[in-house]
Formats: sequence, C-alpha cells, structure tokens
Amino acid sequence: MIALDRARKVFGQGRPNEFTALHETSLLIEADRMTVIRGPSGSGKTTLLSLIGCMARPTSGRIHVLGREITSLPERFLTEIRRRTFGFIFQQFHLIPGLTALENVILPAYPTGERRSVLEKRAAGLFELFDITAKSRSRVEWLSGGEAQRVTIARALINDPAVVIADEPTAHLDSKLSGEFMATMGRLRDEGRTVLIASHDPLVYDHPSVERVFHIRDGRIDGESR
Amino acid sequence: MIFHPLILALFTASLLTGFMVVYAAVFGAQILRRWDLRSGSEIQLGLERKTYLVSTLLSYAFAAELLSLALFVFTADRIHGFFAGAMCAAGTLKADAFGYPALLLKATNAVLAGLWLIVNAADNKGFDYPLVRTKYAGLLAASPLILAEIALQTLYFLKLDPDIITSCCSTLFSQGGSSLGSELASLPIAPMRILFFASVVGSAALGLAFVRTGRGAGLLGVSSAATLAVSLLAMVSFISIYIYELPTHHCPFCVLQAGYHFIGYPIYASLFGGAIAGMGAGILSPFRKIPSLSAVIPGMQRKLAWTAAACFLVLAAIVIAAMAASHLTLPD
Repeated sequence: MIALDRARKVFGQGRPNEFTALHETSLLIEADRMTVIRGPSGSGKTTLLSLIGCMARPTSGRIHVLGREITSLPERFLTEIRRRTFGFIFQQFHLIPGLTALENVILPAYPTGERRSVLEKRAAGLFELFDITAKSRSRVEWLSGGEAQRVTIARALINDPAVVIADEPTAHLDSKLSGEFMATMGRLRDEGRTVLIASHDPLVYDHPSVERVFHIRDGRIDGESR
Repeated sequence: MIFHPLILALFTASLLTGFMVVYAAVFGAQILRRWDLRSGSEIQLGLERKTYLVSTLLSYAFAAELLSLALFVFTADRIHGFFAGAMCAAGTLKADAFGYPALLLKATNAVLAGLWLIVNAADNKGFDYPLVRTKYAGLLAASPLILAEIALQTLYFLKLDPDIITSCCSTLFSQGGSSLGSELASLPIAPMRILFFASVVGSAALGLAFVRTGRGAGLLGVSSAATLAVSLLAMVSFISIYIYELPTHHCPFCVLQAGYHFIGYPIYASLFGGAIAGMGAGILSPFRKIPSLSAVIPGMQRKLAWTAAACFLVLAAIVIAAMAASHLTLPD
C-alpha cells in the first residue's frame, strides 16, 4: 500500500515565483491494483508521482510505500528503494540515443552488480514478452514510437519492481498502441504489481483494467471514481 | 611571522573549521529542540534535509581538525629558527604563553573530532537518523573547546615575537627541574617502560580479542584512552632518550626532525590513530541495541578494533626497533 499523509509540495518556497504544486494531500493507493491519477496539465499529477517514486521530497507531510516511511530516508537509502521498488515509464521515454535497446533496458540494473550475462538473459525474457526480440540489438533512435514504448516498459521491469509508475504514457501513442499499453499494464497488475498511472487520456482512465481513479486539479485531489 | 605560509594555512583551516562549527552548533541546537521523526511538519522535513548537508560539511571540518594538529606541530618545528634559544617545536611553543595550551587543546580536539567522525559514520548507516541527537549534543559540548583552541592558536601566533629569547627543549624537559616537562622527564624509566608496553600490547590484544569474539569493546575504549596518556608520558620518559641516544634528552618534539628520520610522525600517528579507533569502538557499544544500527555497528566496531590493534602493534614495533637500534645503554 502507498499512503500519503498530508503531503505537500512547494517549489521556489520563499521566492517571488513560489508555487504550490501539491496542496496537503492524504490518500491511500492499494497494492496490487491499477490506479490512475487523472487531471489536466499542470494539475500536480507528475509532482504526485515524483513524490511517491522518491524522485522528489515533499515540503511537508509523510509518504509510506509498502509499509516503509520514505520521506525521512537519507538519499543513499532512497536510491536503493528507487532501484528495487519502482519501475518508471516516462512520457518522453528518456531512452539513451546511441545505445541499443538491450543496453537501455539493462542500464538500470548495472548498479546492482549482477553479471551482465544474467541481465541480458532477463532482458531477453522481457523482449520476448513484449515481442520486440528482433529489435534488441537496434539503436533506440531507429525504433518506432510503439517499439520505443515497449523498450521503456521493459526497462522499467528489469529490476522486477513491486510498483510500476507511468507518467502520461500514452501521450505520444495512437489509439491502438495506447490500448496495447493498457493491456500490458493490466498483465503487470495481474502478476501482482501495483500500477500507478498519471494521465488525462480517456483511453487510460476509462480502460476496464483500471480499478481506481483519483481526480486531481490545481494540486488538490477533488474526487475519485470506480 | 604571521604571513608565514604554514601559519596562514593554519589560520585559514581554523577559520573554516570555526565557521562550520558555529553554524553546525546553531543547527544542532535546533535539532535538539525540534527534532521529531514522527512529525511530517515542514520544520522537521527541513531539518532532515539539512542535517545530511551540515554533517557532511562538518565531517570535512573535523577531518581538517585532525590534520591541523599535525600541521600545527610541524609549523612550530619549522619556525624554530626564528627564535633565539629554540631548537625545535618545544622552544617555539614556549615563545609565548599560548603555545602549549593551544597544543593541548588541539590534541584534545583532534581526539574529539575523530570520535565525532566515528559516531557520524554510524549515524549515516541508519535509515532513521538514530544518533542525530547524540552527535549534535556532542558537537555542542565540543564546540567551546574548538573555539577556545582557535582563539588560543590565533593568540599564540599573533603574540610571537622573534626578539624573545625562548628556552630550548633540553631546559624544558630536563630532569630535576620544577616545570611539568621536567617532572615528566623525571618519571622512572623502568616502570614507565613496563607500563608502556603493557598498555600498548594489552590494548592491541583487546582489539584482536574483540575482532575474534565481538566482546569487550568498552574495555578496549578505556584501555585505548589509557594507552594514549601512558604513551605520551613514555615518549618523554624513555622513548625519546633511546631515539636521541642521550640519557638527558627527553624532548617529545625533536623526533619530528629530519635528523631523527621524522620518526615522531609515525609514532604519534599510530598512537593517535590507535587511540581514536579503540575509543571509537568503545563509544559505539551503547548503540548496538538501536534496531536500525544493530546490524551495522558490530561490523564497524570490528574494523575499528582491528585498526586500533594494528596501530598499537605498529607503535610497539617502531619503539622496539628504535630501542634495538639505539646505542644507548641504561644501567639496570
């Protein structure tokens, strides 16, 4: 379970450009479920995901992930949690040009010290799962949007995370690829992973696999559905 | 005098250390007053973010504090040529009233800085800031001493006057006089020799015993502190005369000179290194029961105990080698 206890995030605090991206927010996100944070651009979705994913710290409030309080953790402990607990799928893919799809996928696992042969074997399983084995040795700049998206998902799963976080994952995908993406997320949920998606795409929040939708606007949770 | 590069280096290091200590002490007072890990308040989260930065900067300041002890003694030795009568750091430090008090405080603070670094290293291994109050309380207790040291060091260098005729080490550490140096030089050699080797070898044995059994860290800490005191006395009492091959020369500073192959540096480095490591192993013992540290403290203590044992054995080996190579023969 992921629990936010009055979490708040202010950027540029005390400066003329001070901006509260997330007002005091308390919510519970159940484990092993697919949850969507729904809201328009600038509503605080990405900020919320960043806080949950240990990529940013709240200005105040506490966040518990899988029974552990994460906001007080020193950075060296957060690194391990980010690496082991979360798999991230970004709107812009953030694949590294010049590297092959395989190299991009195993990159987040390098710091774990596992042997490369073991990592490549695990990556091969993911490539097969997402039907992109033929592209594993291709440079990522040669991939189509759909292929790049699947490489991004494979990269998110290389460390076998308990929680998959996706930020506007369908923003650059057509309807068919968006549907495929959501089906993949459904499979991950069925495997026992917690899936958390931020999106304002109806193809996402209206998808039948989604079990809970939180509505966010102007940095406040203003409702939920399902 | 004040513009000597070594003195300027010491001034700069002291200013930076002093600034960091004052800043960290003010922050430490906030920690002691407001720290509450159960709270998610903005103040608490701010303290959590800041403590990592402050303790990291303070670590560098305290590492500099350790080095500045060596630099201070080295400087005092290097500038002895400016003072009529001075043959080594002993005379330079006697050139005004602040030299020896500054040295005493620097040595004390070096040990305290070493212990603080060990406690800080342990705190950094816990996910819930287990020793944050302890280490900042320690800092607050030590900060007056550090500031006093900076003041004394500054006064010492400012008051140095090359026209003053100072005393040489043969006078300061001669037997039969009434000064503290003379009293130390008059300590009986045979009992001091036994006491020195018993404490050094005993502490090394306690360190190795802890590495093997994981028991006796407190005793190792006490023993290491005692070894530090005994060894400093032994240095004046008998180690020095073997190195100088002169039964009347008890100076603890001439050993830092090239004429004696700078043998004083490894002696003092192994002594202070062993003492700090041994005391550090002891000081960590009460924290073994803290849940977030229970898995890491024993490993840290083993490394410290091993370091202490190694340092003390190196110290014993250097002293034995110096005695064996010496042409000095003392009557039984």
